[in-house]
Amino acid sequence: MSNIFKLKLTALGHPNPDGFNCEDEKEYRSVVLWLEDQKIRHYKIEEREGLRNIDSEQWKKAYNTYQTDLVSPVVQGTPNEQLNWLLCYAVRLEYADNVTKYKNAKVEEPKKAAPNVVSSNPLDNLDFSSPAFKAGVERICAIAGVGPHVDPKFQLAAVAKILKSAPHPDHPKSEVNMVHQPTDVQKLLFIQDLRDLQTKINEALVAVQCVTADPRTDTTLGRVGR
Amino acid sequence: MVVRQYNEELKYLEKINPYCWKIKKGFQPNMNVEGVFYVNNTLEKLMLDELRNSCRPGMTGGFLPGVKQIANVAALPGIVGKSVGLPDVHSGYGFAIGNMAAFDTSDPTSIVSPGGVGFDINCGVRLLRTNLHEKDVQPIKEQLAQSLFDHIPVGVGSKGIIPMNARDLEEALEMGMDWSLREGYVWAEDKEHCEEYGRMLNADPSKVSLRAKKRGLPQLGTLGAGNHYAEIQVVDEIYDKFAAGKMGLERLGQVVVMIHSGSRGFGHQVATDALVQMEKAMKRDQIAVNDRQLACARINSVEGQNYLKSMAAAANFAWVNRSSMTFLTRQAFGKQFKMAPDDLDMHVIYDVSHNVAKIEEHVIDGKLKTLLVHRKGSTRAFPPHHPLIPVDYQLTGQPVLIGGSMGTCSYVLTGTHQGMTETFGSTCHGAGRALSRAKSRRNLDYKEVLVKLEEMGISIRVASPKLVMEEAPESYKNVTDVVNTCHAAGISKKTVKLRPIAVIKG
Repeated sequence: MSNIFKLKLTALGHPNPDGFNCEDEKEYRSVVLWLEDQKIRHYKIEEREGLRNIDSEQWKKAYNTYQTDLVSPVVQGTPNEQLNWLLCYAVRLEYADNVTKYKNAKVEEPKKAAPNVVSSNPLDNLDFSSPAFKAGVERICAIAGVGPHVDPKFQLAAVAKILKSAPHPDHPKSEVNMVHQPTDVQKLLFIQDLRDLQTKINEALVAVQCVTADPRTDTTLGRVGR
Repeated sequence: MVVRQYNEELKYLEKINPYCWKIKKGFQPNMNVEGVFYVNNTLEKLMLDELRNSCRPGMTGGFLPGVKQIANVAALPGIVGKSVGLPDVHSGYGFAIGNMAAFDTSDPTSIVSPGGVGFDINCGVRLLRTNLHEKDVQPIKEQLAQSLFDHIPVGVGSKGIIPMNARDLEEALEMGMDWSLREGYVWAEDKEHCEEYGRMLNADPSKVSLRAKKRGLPQLGTLGAGNHYAEIQVVDEIYDKFAAGKMGLERLGQVVVMIHSGSRGFGHQVATDALVQMEKAMKRDQIAVNDRQLACARINSVEGQNYLKSMAAAANFAWVNRSSMTFLTRQAFGKQFKMAPDDLDMHVIYDVSHNVAKIEEHVIDGKLKTLLVHRKGSTRAFPPHHPLIPVDYQLTGQPVLIGGSMGTCSYVLTGTHQGMTETFGSTCHGAGRALSRAKSRRNLDYKEVLVKLEEMGISIRVASPKLVMEEAPESYKNVTDVVNTCHAAGISKKTVKLRPIAVIKG
């Protein structure tokens, strides 16, 4: 419940929405008073005395009268329900005062277009803190001439920069395979991706052909022979 | 032209390795870069004999010898690297056939020359595979050859049987193979296995003369004459099993169909029109060249751009042309074997262009440069992992289809990294002439040529038998010499050798 209060209080511009504890009687009362003073303003200022006396025994009575005057549907409800209604009411009033301003506000909808995209990129699931990853980065760095650093990701970024500007760093003969193997794998993966793309292109072309093809190409060929 | 004794000329030539000669600056005036040509011992003799003959007193007229032409190209403004002669090089109009040259597009004086592309724009070779074996075809070889001959219109002035009107032509010129695809003549996979995906995007049909369009319209979907042909071939030898497998060529005796054709009268008219325009541009921009035939214009000039746009349209014409013939070939095979072409696995292995100029990126002296690469009688041969080659050939390198002369073998090669650095990713295109057409007509008898082919077990259908001797194997260099030189020099790699069993010719 307190989370909903927090959201609404934040929306209404309460000075301390995070610290509000609805179980604390005193805080509860001061929020009710703040709502009437700042947002609802149902009574004239002098009529708010009953609510202003937060420490008084009479406060409960004044609060009930107040709710009845506002025609709250939850006068008989729990204090939290009562407060929630008050907050909602205040939000409604706030909205009514500035319809044009709030009308264009867009609620961020959860992305429905791509509901269940499971990333097929193995790099996404890489555990950057695993010892194997760290050791791998160390080896590449040694070949590419990147100095040590506590964060392997930082080192990897440095390697990427080097590869972009000088794709073939010098490396000792014994290490040649270590560099070639991954690049070969990368090339093969790239070719596979390209093949998939080309197949899709071909399928699209064939689909279009069903519409555009000249029916004459199917059967008769005009005059064959001479 | 500088007149020197043969021995004097030789001082400018240097053999740098068993397969490569350098042409030093000074061989012809104003050379901006050196020339280079690739030959083995046999081809070397042909090259040098040609030069020696031209040095004899009184030898004027006709084309300059190939070596001289390579050197003249090296003197063109904006050329970078070197002027390259491939092993099948022989004299042509301006540029030798089998000559490639690249021009720096960032240099405002760089030129584009129609002579560097040739008259048959985007002449090229397409190879279709089948899942048939030689023994499936042998019994009905004659019928199959006849059926192919009936389906594919051949010969000088032949007309296409795929219905086309003027609007279709405009669209085809702009869209290239995409037009064939849209109309349903080819398969989606065909486009994938075609240089440039069968469409040059800078094509602009509005830059093409009405005359060219009038010549082109009836000829779309026709083989043409000259050295063009459609051949039924079988796999004779496999040198590189992996690469051959990637192309779907898995066993000896497997039947394939090779189509060698170009842009017909359309491309010829585009080139002729451009040459006229360029002569004016040369005068205006004061471009000096060694040979009048090397007419050219700055790449960024109106004439240069117009040529590139109309050349691209002609290239698209050629792709539509080869695509239409692919369709007709599939029909002919389908009817003969009473099977769908799909079931015969009649996929396009690749389609190469060997008369074209293209914008490409190459690394020169460690720097990436955008170049206009002219290839005339030269095939693009990009290495493995090059982004412009189909995904299926990323590991093998681009397939290079080398059509032999009539009755001789053909080859499939693949591009190499060495070729990329040495020859701008270019290699040979075929056998290359040894005798001129006129000389062949004088020296050979067409009946003998036909009998000889028959003896070799090759069915032949020709529209104009009297032109056969121009194309006789004797008129050409030995394609095996040419291919072996490319292989030994490392500029491309032998994959498969093909042997013809039936020939359809113009």
